[in-house]
Amino acid sequence: MSPRLLLLRLLRRWHARIGFAAMLFFLMLAVTGLALNHGQALGLDGRAVHAGWLARWYGIKTEPPRRAFRSEHHVLIAANGRWLLDGRASGQTLPEPLGLIEFADNFAVASETALYLFREDGELIEKLERGALPGAPVQAIGSSVRGIVLRTASGVFTSADALSWRLLTQRSVLWSAPAELSAAQRQACEEALTPGVSVQQLLLDLHSGRFAGRYGPVFVDLLAVLLAVVSLTGAWLFLVPRLHRGRH
Amino acid sequence: MSWRARRALVLLTLALGATAAGWVRGEVYQEPDAFVAEIFGTKPAPKVLWLTKDIQAQAAAILGHPPVQLRQRYWSDAHKSVWILEEIGKEELITAGFVAADGRIDHVRVLVYRESRGGEVRYPTFLKQFKNSTLAHNNTLDRDIDGIAGATLSVGAMERMARLALFFDRMSRQ
Repeated sequence: MSPRLLLLRLLRRWHARIGFAAMLFFLMLAVTGLALNHGQALGLDGRAVHAGWLARWYGIKTEPPRRAFRSEHHVLIAANGRWLLDGRASGQTLPEPLGLIEFADNFAVASETALYLFREDGELIEKLERGALPGAPVQAIGSSVRGIVLRTASGVFTSADALSWRLLTQRSVLWSAPAELSAAQRQACEEALTPGVSVQQLLLDLHSGRFAGRYGPVFVDLLAVLLAVVSLTGAWLFLVPRLHRGRH
Repeated sequence: MSWRARRALVLLTLALGATAAGWVRGEVYQEPDAFVAEIFGTKPAPKVLWLTKDIQAQAAAILGHPPVQLRQRYWSDAHKSVWILEEIGKEELITAGFVAADGRIDHVRVLVYRESRGGEVRYPTFLKQFKNSTLAHNNTLDRDIDGIAGATLSVGAMERMARLALFFDRMSRQ
């Protein structure tokens, strides 16, 4: 057998071996690269993956939920900047709640800097911040016959619609207070309240190899070299027989 | 530690604190309350526009995503209405104030900008393009808004908010 034929056979064998061995990794690089290239259109910025193992892998410190706010029809548990409202976890980062109350057919959750009004089915009616609040920071939320009651540093205010506020004179207010969660309840909602890792960040780390730690990028460098080898051997296997045929 | 060193340390701590606070809240160019008060002289009582299913659908078509809340607060008199709107540029919310008068944009101002890049959308040279713009077919603006290199997404967010302000203004007067 001629040396040229031997070389071609050797190249074909290694081209196939490398291509097959690295197929999964090449596919992963292709898919993550494509997704990152169209991240904006796919809305990857605003999405996050919430999983306990992923948070631990990224070294994100997680706090187990400890307290719940309950009204007659609603329950709010919060931890790690996430809310579990009537069993539905929030996608976005939200502040530490101070309390939960029901008024008319709606309910409201207060944090130090904002008041969230929800319809009975959990749809957000409005988020009120500094300018729309009677005072800030909010210290507590309660309910009275007049509607929502907020205790702030500048006084206790009430409103029926959260549009206009007035100083509360009568003092019969039912203030929202947290209740401790049992160990079983904590465990039940811990996973749902795990902090998330942005999908875009996750794809970027998978693409660059940083997801696998300090040696990950080295592995991706090796894949890049292998991809170059596969490309060059592929070009050789395609061109050389044709050039050879052309000469005869 | 000498008093000079202590003073320097206190000043450094205050400066770092202020920078961190600014980073968290974004760049506040004007408080929304102050913007409303500037337009009307004093801050009038707010009104609300409830987003019915139909309004929600049209707002979603303008924004490219469903509106985040069911009622929109605004301030108005017989001639003009003021809308404080928020929309994400790339990753963070941009808060802008829009004044609509007789179905046209009278005035636009970026109130809070939280993105790390693209803050050029707050410059009057960019914002004056919106002056007198109206809603055309399909709730689009009656003109093209020139982009800014490096601020494409913020420009897009400003344009969507301008369309939404005009649409809400129209709905609030029906």
